Amino acid sequence: MLAAQLLLNALSLGAAYALVALGFVLVLNATTAVNFAHGESVVAGGFTAVALTFFLPPDLRIPGLILLPGVVVVTAVLGLAIGALAYLPIRNRPPVSVFVTTIAVGMIVANGLNATFGAAPRTAPPLIGVGTIDLIGVSISRQSLAIIATACVLIGGLAIVLQRTQLGRQFRACSQDPEMARAIGIRLTRITLLSFAVGTVFAGAAGLLLAHQFFISPADGAPLILKAYIAVVIGGWGSLRGAALGASLIAVFEVGVAAISSQPLAEGLLYVIVLVVLFLRPQGLFGEPQQVRA
Amino acid sequence: MNPRNSLMIFGGGGLAIYALFFASSYDQRLLTLSGIYVVLVLGYQFIFGHAGALSLAQGAFFGLGAYTSGILGSQYGAEFLVTFPLSVAATVTIAALVSIPVLRLQSHYFALATLALSQLLLLIAINWEPMTGGANGLSGVPPVRILGWQLARGLPLLSFVWIIAGLAMLVSYWQINTARKAAFTVMRETPLATAAFGIDSSMLRFRAFLLSAAFGGAAGALFVHTNRVVSPETLSFGVMITCLTMTVVGGRFGISGAVIGALLLTHLPEWFRGLQEYYLVAVGVLLLATVVFAPNGIEGLLRFGKSSPKPSAGTATDEKSDPADIGSSELIATHLSKRYGGVRALDDVNLRIQPGEIVGVIGPNGAGKTTLANILTGSATSDAGTVTLAGHDITHAPEYQIARLGLTRTFQTPQLPADLSVRDIIRIAQADRPAANTDAVLRNFNLLAVADMPCGTIAHGIRRQVEVCRAVAAEPGALVLDEPGAGLSPEEQGEIGALCRTLAENGLAILLIDHNVAFLKPLVTRMICMESGRIIADGTPEDVLADPRVQDAYFGVTTL
Repeated sequence: MLAAQLLLNALSLGAAYALVALGFVLVLNATTAVNFAHGESVVAGGFTAVALTFFLPPDLRIPGLILLPGVVVVTAVLGLAIGALAYLPIRNRPPVSVFVTTIAVGMIVANGLNATFGAAPRTAPPLIGVGTIDLIGVSISRQSLAIIATACVLIGGLAIVLQRTQLGRQFRACSQDPEMARAIGIRLTRITLLSFAVGTVFAGAAGLLLAHQFFISPADGAPLILKAYIAVVIGGWGSLRGAALGASLIAVFEVGVAAISSQPLAEGLLYVIVLVVLFLRPQGLFGEPQQVRA
Repeated sequence: MNPRNSLMIFGGGGLAIYALFFASSYDQRLLTLSGIYVVLVLGYQFIFGHAGALSLAQGAFFGLGAYTSGILGSQYGAEFLVTFPLSVAATVTIAALVSIPVLRLQSHYFALATLALSQLLLLIAINWEPMTGGANGLSGVPPVRILGWQLARGLPLLSFVWIIAGLAMLVSYWQINTARKAAFTVMRETPLATAAFGIDSSMLRFRAFLLSAAFGGAAGALFVHTNRVVSPETLSFGVMITCLTMTVVGGRFGISGAVIGALLLTHLPEWFRGLQEYYLVAVGVLLLATVVFAPNGIEGLLRFGKSSPKPSAGTATDEKSDPADIGSSELIATHLSKRYGGVRALDDVNLRIQPGEIVGVIGPNGAGKTTLANILTGSATSDAGTVTLAGHDITHAPEYQIARLGLTRTFQTPQLPADLSVRDIIRIAQADRPAANTDAVLRNFNLLAVADMPCGTIAHGIRRQVEVCRAVAAEPGALVLDEPGAGLSPEEQGEIGALCRTLAENGLAILLIDHNVAFLKPLVTRMICMESGRIIADGTPEDVLADPRVQDAYFGVTTL
């Protein structure tokens, strides 16, 4: 009973983390750069939902899922802005530069939200409704189910686009060999910007999903980017499937350890494990050592 | 005196006069804080600026120093003279411990690992309440008291902090001397070739990381003794971002950059008071704009034109370097094997090159030629087999050590930092040959005319010669040249060829990898053909080129 509920909790958290990690890898593959503003993009998605609810009459109890298109639009614009301002002008510089510019964007977003909404945690409306439904004797939270379902639809949609469409093939071509992709007529800049938009939308959607049950505050960006990052280290640098898997493992670990001890201990242990993993396998858990030719 | 130095002196003097006569007590507090940040930023410049690694642990080092002083001062009543050195020691110890797993990581993973460390320390500070005071932190840290003399707030404290900042500047100046600055530049801009210069990059990075930690810990200790409380704020990511912003906006490399960045960013909230809570948004915009439009920060903008290259310190003498100075060593490889996944890159390769010999290696793409070069020079490790140089086993020696022992190499693409001059390059390569004469080497290679030009501005053909010159400047006994003729005109190839011949006559053992048979044939004393990681022919150029297996593998001609 309890185990089943814990597992469901872990799965819903994992589904949201998977969205964050997938968005992170999309940008990583398109640019080979780490988008450090990604954590703040999750926060921005959550606060977009909070803000949209604010404009609606308070007595109107709308399901949060209706807010998704609004969140998508806002975070897509944010993603385009990150790509256009923090990546494109310095794309030929060392990767450290993109780190710094995206840290700057994250700082702008986090402090802008902090100044507008205050530092206190906020909550977005539940996706479909509150309460639980009974399923073969196990009471299951509607919110958890809705999170898992929404994330599955988004991830499934991404998989179909990447595998089955011309656009998806262009995406993959750019991530494997940008120079070659450009040579065969793919508009690299356009694909790059699109990856920033889609990646950030995934982060924003995760923000909407997380913001009811787990609350959201402007300072949440750092732990979120760290988890996306760790998911990628576990799953192998640049692997979409690996990132989703890594994100789920992190969620299971967090929920599991928190259940038998405490949340801070779960988080602390996670960071210790990351340091140990990097010590034993500097190329990541499932990653292959990269060869650089001179 | 150059205008930049006089500007620094006038600026510093003006600042001192302002602090002494015009600053209100609030202004003095800001200046004190600036001095603390100068120490923090000077530390961060070692790892982020010179070593070029994005450490996200500088805020954590600050916090660690702050908590060490805070706990000792508040819980045990320890004095500054005790807490300050212990804070530095504690921070350096932690940095040394984590450096073992962290420093060998590639850039992305290095940033992640240092961020994870920071978050871990923050969690500990918040949750280990009995020791750290939890989320509230600890109050009652004693003020700075030295030999019974307590420093009052205001001018005394301000002066004290800036004296420490001045000492930090001296340490920074002493650590980043000309030679080491150049070594850092090579490591940052051509990481693959660092070891070929004989530079031990892991030692350099280790030094930079520990120095950044020491400065961070010192800044944290100062901060706590001036604020008299310690809280988790000191460990938060905010400190890291502040430090990063100061370093980027001020400048990553110089003392003036650290001072400008620290002063500017501590005073900016005053000047941007109208923005209220949105002030930090403006700082974010400033950081972003600086990286995009002024990558070297304000320090870079202040550089009046490009400082003209300094005349060489070593006076030009007319003597040519004595060819006998160049050592000579026999290079022997036995049973070398290497697999990459399922691919046999090298399969039981045996090789012997005697002093004065030029051995050419040909073979189709993927035959294992570059892998052979990498394993001989230590940039890759073999799965089996041994390499000896002049009788010494160098199979497991680190790459930079092999270069120092007298086996140097060139790369398919010349690896020369764009901003360093040709003379700089040669001087770095000669760093542990104090007797070496840079100008004589340059003259031997006919490179004196371009000696003071930055490598980024010289023609490709000359870059190749500089690269060979760099490899020879360290006075090696054996030389591995990886496609030195690629992309050169026949005339330029001729020059490189003549160069090789002279070097061999002077007793060097040379391994020359190239596709171009016409280039190799008249040059080499012996030729080797490789295919799929194996040596399939070894002998005089005529014999090897006539070998049917070679023709089959290399020219795709099937003999009937």
